[in-house]
Amino acid sequence: MACMKRLLTTFYLLAGLILALPAQETFPHNGVYGHRERYYAFTGATVYTTFNQKVDNATLLIREGKVLSVTPGGPVPQGAVEVKLDGKTVYPGFIDLYSSYGLPQPKTEREGRQREEQMLSDKPGAYAWNEALRPEYHAHEFFNADDKAADGYRQQGFTTVATHQMDGISRGTSALVALGDESPHEMIIREQAAHHLSFRKGTSSQDYPSSLMGAIALLRQTYYDGQWYAGQDKETNLSLEAWNAVQGLPQVFEVSGRLEALRAAKIGREFDKHYIIKGSGDEYQRLDELKALGAPFILPLDFPDAYDVEDPYDAQLVSLEQMKHWELAPSNPARAANAGIELALTMDGLEKPQEFLSNLRKAVRQGLSEQDALKALTYTPAKLVGAWKELGSLEPGKWANFFITDGNIFDDGARILHTWVKGNAYVHHRLDSDALLGQYQLTVGAVAYMLEVKGEAASPKMTAYSADGQDTIKVKFEQQDALITLSFNPKKGQGAVRLSGTASGKNWAGRGQDADGNWLDWSAAYTGPVEERSRKKEDKPEAGEPGPVTYPFTAFGWTERPKPQTYLIRNATVWTNEDAGILENTDVLLQNGKIAQAGKGLKASGAIEVDGTGKHLTPGIIDEHSHIAISRGVNEGTQASSAEVRIGDVVNSEDVNIYRQLSGGVTTSQLLHGSANPIGGQSALIKLRWGYTPEEMKFEKADGFIKFALGENVKQSNWGDNRTTRFPQTRMGVEQVYVDHFTRAREYGKLKRSGKPYRKDLEMEALLEVLEGRRFITCHSYRQSEINMLMKVAERFGFRINTFTHILEGYKVADKMAEHGVGGSTFSDWWAYKYEVMEAIPYNGALMHEQGVTVAFNSDDAEMARRLNQEAAKAVLFGGVSEQDALKFVTLNPAKLLHIDNRVGSIKVGKDADVVLWSDHPLSMYAKADMSFIDGALFFSREEDMQRRLAMQAERNRLIQKMLKARQGGERTQGARGQRQYREYHCDDDDDEAR
Amino acid sequence: MKRYFPIIFLFAAAPLFIAGQTPAPAPAQQQPVYIYGATAHLGNGQVIENSAIAFDKGKITFVGEAGNLREGEGHLRINATGKHIYPGFIAPATNLGLVDIEAVRATRDFREVGSMNPNVRSLIAYNTDSEIIPTVRCRGVLLAQVRPEGGRISGLSSVVQLDAWNWEDAAYRADDGLFLNWPGLASYNRREQRLSTNKEYEKQVQEVRDFFAEAKAYLDNPAPAKDNLKYDALRPVLEGKTRLYVQAQEAREIMNAVQLAAEFNMKLAIVDGRDAWMVADMLKAHDVAVVLRATQSLPARVDSDVDQPFKTPALLQQAGLLFCFGMDGFWEQRNLPFQAGQAVGYGLDYEQAVAALTSNTARILGIGDRTGTLEVGKDANLFISEGDALDIRSSQLIRAFIQGREINLDNKQKAWYRKFKAKYDEGR
Repeated sequence: MACMKRLLTTFYLLAGLILALPAQETFPHNGVYGHRERYYAFTGATVYTTFNQKVDNATLLIREGKVLSVTPGGPVPQGAVEVKLDGKTVYPGFIDLYSSYGLPQPKTEREGRQREEQMLSDKPGAYAWNEALRPEYHAHEFFNADDKAADGYRQQGFTTVATHQMDGISRGTSALVALGDESPHEMIIREQAAHHLSFRKGTSSQDYPSSLMGAIALLRQTYYDGQWYAGQDKETNLSLEAWNAVQGLPQVFEVSGRLEALRAAKIGREFDKHYIIKGSGDEYQRLDELKALGAPFILPLDFPDAYDVEDPYDAQLVSLEQMKHWELAPSNPARAANAGIELALTMDGLEKPQEFLSNLRKAVRQGLSEQDALKALTYTPAKLVGAWKELGSLEPGKWANFFITDGNIFDDGARILHTWVKGNAYVHHRLDSDALLGQYQLTVGAVAYMLEVKGEAASPKMTAYSADGQDTIKVKFEQQDALITLSFNPKKGQGAVRLSGTASGKNWAGRGQDADGNWLDWSAAYTGPVEERSRKKEDKPEAGEPGPVTYPFTAFGWTERPKPQTYLIRNATVWTNEDAGILENTDVLLQNGKIAQAGKGLKASGAIEVDGTGKHLTPGIIDEHSHIAISRGVNEGTQASSAEVRIGDVVNSEDVNIYRQLSGGVTTSQLLHGSANPIGGQSALIKLRWGYTPEEMKFEKADGFIKFALGENVKQSNWGDNRTTRFPQTRMGVEQVYVDHFTRAREYGKLKRSGKPYRKDLEMEALLEVLEGRRFITCHSYRQSEINMLMKVAERFGFRINTFTHILEGYKVADKMAEHGVGGSTFSDWWAYKYEVMEAIPYNGALMHEQGVTVAFNSDDAEMARRLNQEAAKAVLFGGVSEQDALKFVTLNPAKLLHIDNRVGSIKVGKDADVVLWSDHPLSMYAKADMSFIDGALFFSREEDMQRRLAMQAERNRLIQKMLKARQGGERTQGARGQRQYREYHCDDDDDEAR
Repeated sequence: MKRYFPIIFLFAAAPLFIAGQTPAPAPAQQQPVYIYGATAHLGNGQVIENSAIAFDKGKITFVGEAGNLREGEGHLRINATGKHIYPGFIAPATNLGLVDIEAVRATRDFREVGSMNPNVRSLIAYNTDSEIIPTVRCRGVLLAQVRPEGGRISGLSSVVQLDAWNWEDAAYRADDGLFLNWPGLASYNRREQRLSTNKEYEKQVQEVRDFFAEAKAYLDNPAPAKDNLKYDALRPVLEGKTRLYVQAQEAREIMNAVQLAAEFNMKLAIVDGRDAWMVADMLKAHDVAVVLRATQSLPARVDSDVDQPFKTPALLQQAGLLFCFGMDGFWEQRNLPFQAGQAVGYGLDYEQAVAALTSNTARILGIGDRTGTLEVGKDANLFISEGDALDIRSSQLIRAFIQGREINLDNKQKAWYRKFKAKYDEGR
């Protein structure tokens, strides 16, 4: 009975007539002007005037598209058309703040496959240098109603959306529009509702930014540029002008994940912006932190489908995180609301609009209160864009935007019958669509039948019974307004009787033809209701308790994060890295996050004792060169200098490599920008505090570092023949990049100190910090010529290079390095992967060490980082470094290079309790990290890890069984697909990840 | 004393590496050699403390307890007391010698154009003068199976010994195996950063099956209308004389490969075999060998045990599978012994680990009758190391022999070391 849904009613006809008339005052009018004020009185319904107030048996009056009043049992005034809504419910129309409804598809400025690098914007006109900045795009200038899309919204109860073009980092403004099908003149409620932002560059064909940190840097710089622009008169920039103009609007920031929400809020704090965050549905995974932001969230309801896990091998593709998210995602709105987060909901992200209501109901079943749900769809969105005076409730003076249901909107069976937008009706189902239900006496010619119409009001079933009760006959029928058509086969195998007639109340009559083509009269008279079983389905009991949220929300996450405790490690062989050397049979006490005592026969009441007999205790391993735990891009290599970007903006606390490296004894890692350009980005230093947030992982009060790079990567030598545009392409050019940038930074510093107005330039700020000794350089390097060059450039500008990393030809200039005072953080034995490493030797570390250079071995690789202790052993093998000194290559020496040797790197009373207990001699192949402590908290224990594996297996199995059950129960599923993996980056990964 | 050892050793080696040249291959064994006092790891699971090993004319003539052999006339006596002897390690499935500088296209000779290249022979491109090879020998790797990569069927591998004037000299077993890359069930989408189902999988497998089926029909036909070089190249593998090496990692890919090889009665080895431990029983039942990926790899999945790759070798051993250690790369092969060492740390018996670098590998490559163990009659491919050769700290090589010839353990990296060591020592 699909056609039922397409039935036209009186209301629809009226609405259709209205559409033929242009309503705009200024427009010329053809024909007779018949103004209609659309004065209606809805009676008998329960009307929610606001999300938390309802009036039973209400009379709702609307006129000229606005609400006049809602009164209990009020009279129908003269001049108003009465619409009887007994037993129905009226809700204020829903509002969606996150939509691109009625806007053209974004278009890229440069079509086709891009060959050469694009440094500047292709957009004609005096706009921003970067195509990802589009604050000048105002949605209202491009908006047209799109009835098909609007219908999708209206069927779910929406009457208003804020629509913007989802393209770019600054995406311009959204328009608040009503979801009718009239001209934009009528539908635009507010031209500029909000300014929209994101971390994605969208259709921009420009190279910059190619990373998340680049997108963040661009945004940050744009805030400064806006400030500068307001006070200057040298240039015209329409984008910055627009940027400044939209700052007074609400700011909606789209993020793609819980960590990005934290990142957006951090930028907000820097510039005193209070973003409304459009979340991604995983907020429950870091709820406490997100709640603490105090920001309102717009949340999607796109809950994942269960996975196909029938094949036990295929099922392995699906991670525990994916399975848990499947189970917990529907509870996200409830958890957010119950935590006190101010909430709006959006349809964005749903494959089909009709999933909205069913998912909303799912969310309510998971604990979202009906009142909170209504609030999140009416009051809160209206308030967030400052439209509460016009929208969001059915109070006098507001737009007559509402929908009518035949039951509680949160009940599974309830249908939205009408949606009214600005006083116009959009009909999904007849208000009286259950009127057909019942028993009838059907007479066809001389034959009498008993006719039953029952089932769902939306798609009733009609059955005829012969007078003798012998035959049960299925009847096909159609209804269009008052016209009724029936057809059925009175006897099996015989021809069909076809009847056409009209309905008058509950009595039908008309003419038809029998199987032989003879015309005859027919009629049907209502005799009473059908006895029906309760058709309301029982709420399916949710199968079992859901699993816990873990931190991070992935495999090996904690339910309780480790805290510093008092540990007494007994009778271990202790590698102090101090003058004391290696101490046999020694106790070490960890207390209050510090190494409290080391010695024999220590006593500490309340300490957790750890037997270290036969084991070795060393300082935690420090990886000077790591690219783990980084979100969306390790390089911003699109310009020769990207000093403005910060790895610290994109630390990814959820990367399982953190846990894996803890299992290899790593406790501190320097997360470096890649090596795609001579001046890379600012580094982040983290302790591997697995389970904590990015900000909590950062090494407190550490000096700032920046990555530089030399050689083939920055010359783009190995990146294909199309990469020949960017300066520099030779080592000669590399020197000039440095001299040029430091010269400019020096001038920038002068200007800044002069007190004259200047444009705050984050790239120059970073380089100025270098010049002023407040930021330190770690430089990727291979060949001696350029190593020497960079030391000379630094000396010329009065500073020193802190660390050469990789430094594979360091052995050739080790004496010069020692003189300059630079450290060397090298690979133990990598070579032969490109031309510039053909003279790399594994004796490099030993030779530099002998010349007095502070030498470290680093990983640059998520796999190798788990066994840096073994790499240290290569210094013993190649060049005969003593074992104690070799261990320092991965502990104390990198600590020195990172200026944190006052805190970590040796076992000394007062230092941080970052220590590792090894099963064997720490340089042996056979040694395993049995326990890794950071700040006296046990972040990895091999014994506990074994328990955790079993628990994870059990949890996986529980979820797999639950998914199978869900599938059997008819739930939609998706193919077994892998989880989005955090990439294991290397220096030269330069894919565009900002799109 | 220990810490000075490498330096003495470096300067003692003669003739020294001359810049631009790799050390000259050693001449045929002139004099019988008698090594005594070392702990000998025979490669077959057995150990002899205080051993005596003798070899002459390139063949091992005695293996036993020291003292049981009366020293022969004119033997070169080597006192290896406190040291360790191993059969030469064998690097399977590598492109060693086929590439010198990974990023320089001109030096990359391991990937031919096209999908089905069974006739392509790696041996031809094997560069005996590669500067990489001497650095690999220094970790005890004395033989290698060099193989082409790429496409669906990459071509033919050959086993070479790593001290030769030219590829003919080097060939230890020419064209020993055929390398095939099994279609992936899931493919990694770089943009989405996730694995998703390969919709072409079935078609791709059928292409492989059709290729073998057509080749078999062609080969069974005494008078084919036209010669087909590709099908001709498949004759040994279809006749079971050489082994089919299938590169596959997922459990179900491996299962499918085993089924297809059985269909054509081919002798199969799985290369990489990341998930081989999950289907070990099936592999065992079909007598399939595994050339394992690097032990020192990251776990495949976020949920995998953090040490899964470390313990996989022990699991294969427990299942009674014939497997050997392997790893990707060319220069990296010098770290091959440490793949075994890593597995020992995670439950693999030490002598079994040695076997999986020597005799297991030799058996898989079809050279088990000539090398892989210290047994009388086998080629004298062996080396003496300062200590445990599977543990980095003590894996210093002292002497090494290929077919009884004592090879020069100098290399380019040592030469650069000496050059700059001297500069600093002499204050230049």
